[in-house]
Amino acid sequence: MNGNILEQLSSGPVYAICGGIIAFVALVCILFLVRAWKAGIAIGLDRKKMKRAVTASASFSILPGIGILLGVIALSGSLGVPWPWLRLSVIGALHYETQVAAAAAEAAGLPELSGSAMTAPAFATIALLMSLCIMWGMILSALFNKRYLRRLHGREEKQPAERKTGFGDIAMAAMFIGMVSAYLGSYLGDFVSGEGLFSFRGSWTPLVVAAVSACAMALLTWLSEKKHMVWLDNFSIAASMLVGMLAAVVIGK
Amino acid sequence: MENREQALERYMKNTHRLGRAVSMVTLMLLLGAPFMIGALLGAMPDLGAVARGFVSVGLVWTVSSVVEFLVYTPMLGAGGSYLAFITGNLINMKIPCAMNAKDIVGTKSGTRENEIISTLSIATSSLVTILVLAAGVLLLTPLRPVLQSPRLAPAFANVVPALFGAMGYKYYRQNLRLAAVPLVIMSILFILAPGLTSSTSLMIIPSGAIAIGLAWLIYRKHQKEGRV
Repeated sequence: MNGNILEQLSSGPVYAICGGIIAFVALVCILFLVRAWKAGIAIGLDRKKMKRAVTASASFSILPGIGILLGVIALSGSLGVPWPWLRLSVIGALHYETQVAAAAAEAAGLPELSGSAMTAPAFATIALLMSLCIMWGMILSALFNKRYLRRLHGREEKQPAERKTGFGDIAMAAMFIGMVSAYLGSYLGDFVSGEGLFSFRGSWTPLVVAAVSACAMALLTWLSEKKHMVWLDNFSIAASMLVGMLAAVVIGK
Repeated sequence: MENREQALERYMKNTHRLGRAVSMVTLMLLLGAPFMIGALLGAMPDLGAVARGFVSVGLVWTVSSVVEFLVYTPMLGAGGSYLAFITGNLINMKIPCAMNAKDIVGTKSGTRENEIISTLSIATSSLVTILVLAAGVLLLTPLRPVLQSPRLAPAFANVVPALFGAMGYKYYRQNLRLAAVPLVIMSILFILAPGLTSSTSLMIIPSGAIAIGLAWLIYRKHQKEGRV
């Protein structure tokens, strides 16, 4: 069984099962996209604004998409191609999948997560555990999304109408700043103490990449705001990321 | 003739209905797939091992999922959050993508415009990811050596720092006072306890709480001054 398990995991029927689920989710996305577009028109939203949201989101997603593809490649060596393809197209997250797959392999009794150690029962166990571990967001969303948002919006509606800006919007920006700060702090912490407290021997590449990407973003923002190249806004994040990633190639670490 | 409010109300009602239905169908498909593949291979999951594994690793992700639901749902709105929780990759893609679209279009969280823009953004982002992965899987043999070449490896290992560098600039320049405190606190924390880097996604919670607390203080101050 071991000899050809990866071939079996990448066989036509397994592709059909995983591809079918991905196709279903793609249809769901199209349905939500079309409904939102029509609702936008119905409530009088500017078509140009909606088009910009779509264009910016499409260009934004290509590079992270390629990064996620690498996750598929990384996991394909132990789980075949279709299952990681499904996991990272639907529900999964790049930074979770490898960790959960490795922990699931341990729970399934494998010495390590690898193609040579994989067996059919171990794969079925790992696949089910991977699904179970990261499904709670979807369940909570299905059960409580409506109630939760209604409660939050109810609170916002109670605020006086004359306020120029509600705290909800500020809180969302603050939460995002908190999220970015946690990641940037972790890069600094890794550099300073990653290889021993205050050793300054940890990896500095993420710090440089983030700084270069931020500089590229500053330049593109300046061009957009001062030189009236507003069209750049649609691609500024993707372009800045590309410049940051190129810096990583130049550093070579 | 239906007015705008009625159109939005009907849209929202159907979004929740559709969102719940597709979430449950996707859930069943994802839980059913290991059994279907197992049946093809002539093996079934070891439910005892699944239970043991869930206790050892699943509980952490359960806590993380609850936090993600509470934090990200208001950011994304109804349609966007149903889709985002189905398609995944929230932190490294969907949240920044929706925030970017919101900023470019100039909508505010919790408004009906943002509900639409966020859904358009998440749906587009999910479709692009599905297409990129499908194309990548289709071209896996010729692409593998390029994507896995040692020369390009650092680029793909640093997608998230590149993303947060660009997004960080965008948000920090507008909220410098607000950004400085969580950044300094998080940096000190990660420097003194480098082991925390493996739990960065969980450290978002205290960092976000600090930023929101500070934002609340600034907001109250502005309120007293009549600036909001």
